[in-house]
Amino acid sequence: MIQKKVCMIGVFGAGKTSLVQQYVHSKFSEKYHSTVGVKIDRKSVEVEAEPMTLVLWDVAGKEADEDIPASYVRGSHGVIFVVDLTRRETWEELPALAGLVQSAAGAIPTVVALNKADIPEQWVISADEEQHLSAQWTTIQTSAKTGQGVEDIFQTIARAMLKKPGIPE
Amino acid sequence: MGEEPAARDTPADPSHADAELARLRELLFGREQRELSELRARLAQVGFTPERLADELPEAIFRRTDRGDRQLAIALAPSVQQALGESVRKHPSTIATAIFPVLGPAIRKAIGEAMAGLVSSVNAGIGQSLSLRGLQWRFEAWRTGVPYAQVVISHSLIYRVEQVLLIHADTGLLLAHVTSPELVATDGDLISGMLTAIRDFVGDSFSSERDVGGLTSFKVGELGVSVEPGPQAVLAAVVRGPAPASLMAKLRETIESIHLRFADPLAEFEGDATPFEPSKELLADCLETVLQSDARSGKRTVTWWPWLLGTVALASVLTFFLWQRASEWQRAVARLESEPGIVLVHADHGWRRSRLSGLRDPLAAQPAVLLAAGGLDTTRVDGRWQPYVSLDSTVVLERARRQLKALSGVDLALRGDTLEARGAAPMSWVADMRRLRVYPPGVSHIDLGRVEPELSTALQADLDTIQRRRVLFAVASSQLTPRAQAAIDANAAGLAAVDAELRAVGRRVEVELAGRADRTGPDARNQSLSADRAAAVRAALVAGGIPAGSLTTQALGANAPLSENAVSTLGEGDVAEEDVAVRARINRSVSFIVRVVRNEQAPTPER
Repeated sequence: MIQKKVCMIGVFGAGKTSLVQQYVHSKFSEKYHSTVGVKIDRKSVEVEAEPMTLVLWDVAGKEADEDIPASYVRGSHGVIFVVDLTRRETWEELPALAGLVQSAAGAIPTVVALNKADIPEQWVISADEEQHLSAQWTTIQTSAKTGQGVEDIFQTIARAMLKKPGIPE
Repeated sequence: MGEEPAARDTPADPSHADAELARLRELLFGREQRELSELRARLAQVGFTPERLADELPEAIFRRTDRGDRQLAIALAPSVQQALGESVRKHPSTIATAIFPVLGPAIRKAIGEAMAGLVSSVNAGIGQSLSLRGLQWRFEAWRTGVPYAQVVISHSLIYRVEQVLLIHADTGLLLAHVTSPELVATDGDLISGMLTAIRDFVGDSFSSERDVGGLTSFKVGELGVSVEPGPQAVLAAVVRGPAPASLMAKLRETIESIHLRFADPLAEFEGDATPFEPSKELLADCLETVLQSDARSGKRTVTWWPWLLGTVALASVLTFFLWQRASEWQRAVARLESEPGIVLVHADHGWRRSRLSGLRDPLAAQPAVLLAAGGLDTTRVDGRWQPYVSLDSTVVLERARRQLKALSGVDLALRGDTLEARGAAPMSWVADMRRLRVYPPGVSHIDLGRVEPELSTALQADLDTIQRRRVLFAVASSQLTPRAQAAIDANAAGLAAVDAELRAVGRRVEVELAGRADRTGPDARNQSLSADRAAAVRAALVAGGIPAGSLTTQALGANAPLSENAVSTLGEGDVAEEDVAVRARINRSVSFIVRVVRNEQAPTPER
C-alpha cells in the first residue's frame, strides 16, 4: 500500500479543515490545531486502480504575515494550497507559501483549491487574477459546503504524486 | 625414426644449421626471451594512463596491504585524516548517518562494561535486603509514608510494550507497526503522523537545533511513549508501566539494526511501506522481549511477595472465619443456657458436627429453632434432650396457663409460688379453680381475689325473678296472707339456691327488704306500717332459713311509690288491671333488693 504525505496549507480561515472534514472521518479533534498546530487525517483513494493512502497534514492556518512551521511541510509528497475566493490575502500569500514549501520539501506536486466556489457573489477575485492563478498552478474550484470539487482535488493530487513522486532536494 | 640420424649426419647444410641453433636457443632461453620482450614492451609505454591506474590501484593497494607492512597505512594516514576532517566539517550528517549503526553498539559496550560491576553489586545488595527483610521494608514504607513501590521499584518493575511503530523520519509515514497480540490494534497511520507532528512541534518550540534528538519520551497516565530516533526512521514504543533502561537499549539496538538492514529502502522511500514488512519481526522482538519482566536479579525476591501476601491474606480470612464460627457457637450455647426450661449439660463443638445434650422441659422452646435464629447451621448439630419439669417461673406460668385452661380475659402472674389471677371470668371457671385440689408443679396457691366472676345468665334470671316477686298486704295491715307467705317461701328457696351458687365463687347475697304503704292515711301511720310489713317479711325469711345477717329492712312509707312499670310484676290475675286501686295495691308491699357481695367470711383458700 502506497502512502503519501499531503500538506494542506493556507492562511487562516481559508477553509482547509472544512475541506478535509468533507473528505475524511477525522480521529483527532479540532483542538490539535490550536495546541500542536496541525491535525492528521487519513483518506484511502484509488488512483489508476492502485490503492493509495493519503496522510493529510492539515496545518493550522496562520495570519498572513506569519510563517507556517517548515518542519510540518518537510517530507511532504504533495501540497494542497487552499485559497478563499472571497478574501484577497489568501491568494496573495500564495507565492510566499509556495517558496516555503519549495525550500522545505522541494518541488512536489501542488494543487490549488479555490474554495468557497458556492458563493460567487461574494468573490473578490477578478477574472484576470483567476486566469493568472490557473496559468501558474493546477487549480480546482471547491466548496466545502456543497462538496463541489472536493473529491476532485484529492484525486488530482494523488494522480500527480503517483506520476511524479515528490523528491526532496 | 630413420630420418633423424640422417639429419644429424648432414651438418653441412647452412640453413638447416641456423634452424638447429634457433631451436637450441629456444630450448635453453625461450622463457627468459619472452619475459625480456614483455619487459621491453612495457618499457616502451612507460607513462601510466588514469584508466590503467584506476584498474591497477585497488589491486596494488590490496597486495601491498597483504604483505603485512604498515608503509601504506603510514603513507595514507595524514591524507585520510585531512579528508575525514574536511568531510565532517562540510557534511556532518553524511558521516553521522554512516557511522550511526556502529556508533551505538560501541558506546554501549564501553559504558555497559563500566556499569556492569556497579549494577551487579547494587542488585546483590538490594536482593539480599529484600530476601531477608522484605517484611521490614514494607513496614518501613508504611511507617515513613514513602510509597512501597518506590522502596522496591527497581525490582518490581512490571511493564508491557503494547505497540511498536516504525516511522519514516521525514514524512512521518508509518513503515511498520506491531501491536501486542492481546490488544486491539490502533490507527497506526494517524498516530505516527500525529506523533511526528508533536515531535516537530516540541522540537520547533524548545530547540533550534534539529539534530539533538527531539522529544524522546512522554507519559500519559499509565501509558508512556518512548521514542528512539534514527537518521531516517524513528522507533516509537507505547509502554504501559514504567519503562526500564533496558527497554531503551533494546529500542536503540533495533533502530540500528533496521538502519543497517533497510538502508536502501529507507533512502529510496517514496511512500511504499512494503519493503519494510520484514522489519516487523524486529519490532515484534521488542514486544516479546520486554513483555517478560526484566527483574532478573530480583526475580526470586520479588516473586515470593505475592505468595507471602496471599498466604497471609488466606490465613487472615481463615482465622477470621474460624473465630467467627467459634463465637457464633459461643453465642448459641449462651443463648441455650439462658433459655428457661433448658439445662445444657454437654456442648461439644466439632469441625464437622457438633453435639449438644441436656434436659428440656416439654414446654421450653425448641433448641434447633434457637440455634437457627442465632445463625448456626442446625443440620450439623446433633441434640439429645431428656424431658424434665422445669420450675423456672416462665415455664411454671406457661404450664399453669395450659393446665388451667386460662381464658383470654384472665391474666396470670407468678409471685413466689402463688399464682395470681386477675380479670373477669365465668363463674364456672372460678368455681373450678376454687375446687382445684392439685395445682400445677411450681404453684402452691392460687389467688383468685382479683377475679370478677361473671354471673351466669341462669343466675341472673333467678335474681330477676326474686326481685320482681313482691309480698302484698291488705289495706292498713301487716299481716302475712297465705298468698304472701307463699311468695316469701318461693323467694326464700330462690335466695338459698342463688346464695349457695355464689358462695362457690366467693360471693353471697345480701337482701334489702323495702316496705311500702299506699297514700291513704297519715304519713306517720304509713311509715310505721311499712316498717312493720318489712319486719314481718324478714321474720318469715329468717324462719325460712335465710341467715338474718344477710337481711336488712327499709321503711319507705308512701314516699317512694313504685312506678307504673311495676304493675306488670304484680302477679297472675292482676296484671291487666290498671286503675288507681291497682296502683295503690302494689305499693302495699315489701319488695326484695338483692345484691351480690364478696363473701368476707369466705373460707381461706383450700389446702
